Amino acid sequence: MADPANDFIRDYQTLAQQSWDAWTRQFQQPPAGNPFAPPAPAVGNDTLERTLAGLKGYFDWMQAAAAGGAAQQPTSDWRQQLQQLFGGASQPFAQAFGAIDSAGAEGFVRQWQSWLQTARHSGFGDLPGTQGPTPAFGLNREQQMQQQALAAALMASMQATARYQELIQRANTQGMQRLQARLAEPGRQIDSLKGLYDLWVDASEEAYAEIALSDEFREAYGEMVNTQMRVRQLQQRQTEQLCQQLGVPTRSEVSSLGERLQTLRREFRASQADASADHADGIMALRRELAALKRQLADGQAAASAARKTTSAKSAVVPKKAPAKAARKPNAVPGTSPRKRK
Amino acid sequence: MQTPLRIDPAKVLADIATFQRKLAAGMGYLRDMREPEYANTPRELVYSEDKLKVWHFTGHGKTTAKVPLLIVYALVNTVWMTDLQADRSMVRNLLEQGEDVYLIDWGYPDGADRWLTLDDYINGYLDRCVDVVRERHGLDAINLLGICQGGAFSLCYTALHPDKVKNLITMVTPVDFHTPDNMLSHWCRSMDVDLFVDTMGNIPAGLMNYVYLTLKPLRLNQQKYIGMVDILDNPAELENFLRMERWIFDSPDQAGEAFRQFIKDFYQGNKLVKGTLEIGSQPVDLGLIAQPVLNIFAEQDHLVPPDASRALGKHVGTTDYTQLAFKGGHIGIYVSGRAQREVPPAIHQWLRQRA
Repeated sequence: MADPANDFIRDYQTLAQQSWDAWTRQFQQPPAGNPFAPPAPAVGNDTLERTLAGLKGYFDWMQAAAAGGAAQQPTSDWRQQLQQLFGGASQPFAQAFGAIDSAGAEGFVRQWQSWLQTARHSGFGDLPGTQGPTPAFGLNREQQMQQQALAAALMASMQATARYQELIQRANTQGMQRLQARLAEPGRQIDSLKGLYDLWVDASEEAYAEIALSDEFREAYGEMVNTQMRVRQLQQRQTEQLCQQLGVPTRSEVSSLGERLQTLRREFRASQADASADHADGIMALRRELAALKRQLADGQAAASAARKTTSAKSAVVPKKAPAKAARKPNAVPGTSPRKRK
Repeated sequence: MQTPLRIDPAKVLADIATFQRKLAAGMGYLRDMREPEYANTPRELVYSEDKLKVWHFTGHGKTTAKVPLLIVYALVNTVWMTDLQADRSMVRNLLEQGEDVYLIDWGYPDGADRWLTLDDYINGYLDRCVDVVRERHGLDAINLLGICQGGAFSLCYTALHPDKVKNLITMVTPVDFHTPDNMLSHWCRSMDVDLFVDTMGNIPAGLMNYVYLTLKPLRLNQQKYIGMVDILDNPAELENFLRMERWIFDSPDQAGEAFRQFIKDFYQGNKLVKGTLEIGSQPVDLGLIAQPVLNIFAEQDHLVPPDASRALGKHVGTTDYTQLAFKGGHIGIYVSGRAQREVPPAIHQWLRQRA
């Protein structure tokens, strides 16, 4: 016999789902009034994708809650109710933490998995090296060794990513435990899904932060990044070898040119700075010389003036003696004339 | 025991209906909405080199400050956080206080910038920008306002070129990179940065943003957008939200070599406080900074923990050191209502007392 309440929920869910789908479809349509504008890209719009993914997870959870645990009258076994709310059909929501590495790390994993699959489908079976390094020889020795190194790096990277995801999952589990502990606090009352959701976010972020600041996480994080980089580096090396065979400039070559150019720019600026410093030194030396000359001149004028006074005084006594030559020449430097010294 | 979960099924359905209604109402706004503009406070270009530009802000009140203020932003994200929107613009508020404001827009590095080092940025670009402003005003020294990583750059610059800086202000600036609550520093300490940069070249902005999101994954990847649904039927608030999204995700790649040095010397080596940092073979000694220093940090900063900034007081040489703790986060310190009321006036007052 049909359960009218459940039928109602099911109908409502269907209606809500249709509404959601319509909303996302319409959101991706070109703006009204510009029928010729290209449709918004379904992929590649980072904000849109992230926004929709986050909203969809929450929306699905509310729907599941309506159909399940929350659509019942409050029970004394709230822990079981909590399990219903955050487990089973609400799995996408429960894995929200797991999704944090989807944007970056998952891209890597997919790429490598497809790399491995391609190798297998091409009749190579497992990539050489995935079962451990084996000796290589002959004309293709280097390529075989590279393939082995890449396969080993892929395996190491997948293991490191799995270790990281394990810690993320632990944060998820501990988040739920913290949520339960918070709900068990005396006087705590939650009367809406949004209130429960916000409390779950607080509890989960706390659990995550504690794990993320642990030495274990730091090591796992570093290993994940380092192994991913190792894979990428080996892939780049193989790609570059192919490019070299095809006569296509490689990134290493362009990068090397960039490095030389930047070195030249630095040297040029440094030499300019040195030249300016040399000019400045030259100007400073000339200034010092000029200052010395001015001092000498001033001293000379002072001496000449003194000499003139002396001469005047003597003239008063011996009026027939001629005045000193130097005293008549303002630019002459006293004491430099051999005749005068005589 | 009484159950803490008292969720009324009827209310659940009503919540879902509300959620749907808001989504539907917001659909039209979102589809037709254009890219939100920043505040774009009037400004003139006074210097450019490679991809960087130095802007001088004009208008908005009479300039009373005798010494100009040069804003040195981080290489991550763009400087427009300081001039985000008309009613949330630190630049505009500083102008209204009477400050004469310049800022450096570092631009968007590409492959040509792969080999730029911290020496190129600090003793090269930054020094030339400072010289341009000094020459325009006929001054020996100007005021610097360094923000986040730009604050670390400003500290290095002031220690290396003390004659060219009159007063130094640092905002949300990491100084001690090894405080126990520094998640970014914690994560990158086991990274092989040489392998990372040798492989990636320049570091893509998307990767940087992804790392920042994983500092608070649930809040930043999901809860924030659920909150957005509440404002979908409010065009003004929605525009503000989207403007912030634009700023967060429209960010530059990082020049590989500078990134390598910054991670190794600052995040991993913590050399700024250890006194072992060298920029362009010149030792950087914070103890040589004798200028007045105003250090502003955010108490709820998840990117630069408050203790990472507070450490400056212990290492800087000046006897005129002021610390200002702001009740907010790393972004709120520029754009929150409280920030508009508190931060620019505090900066202006502090500078005026040291004019």
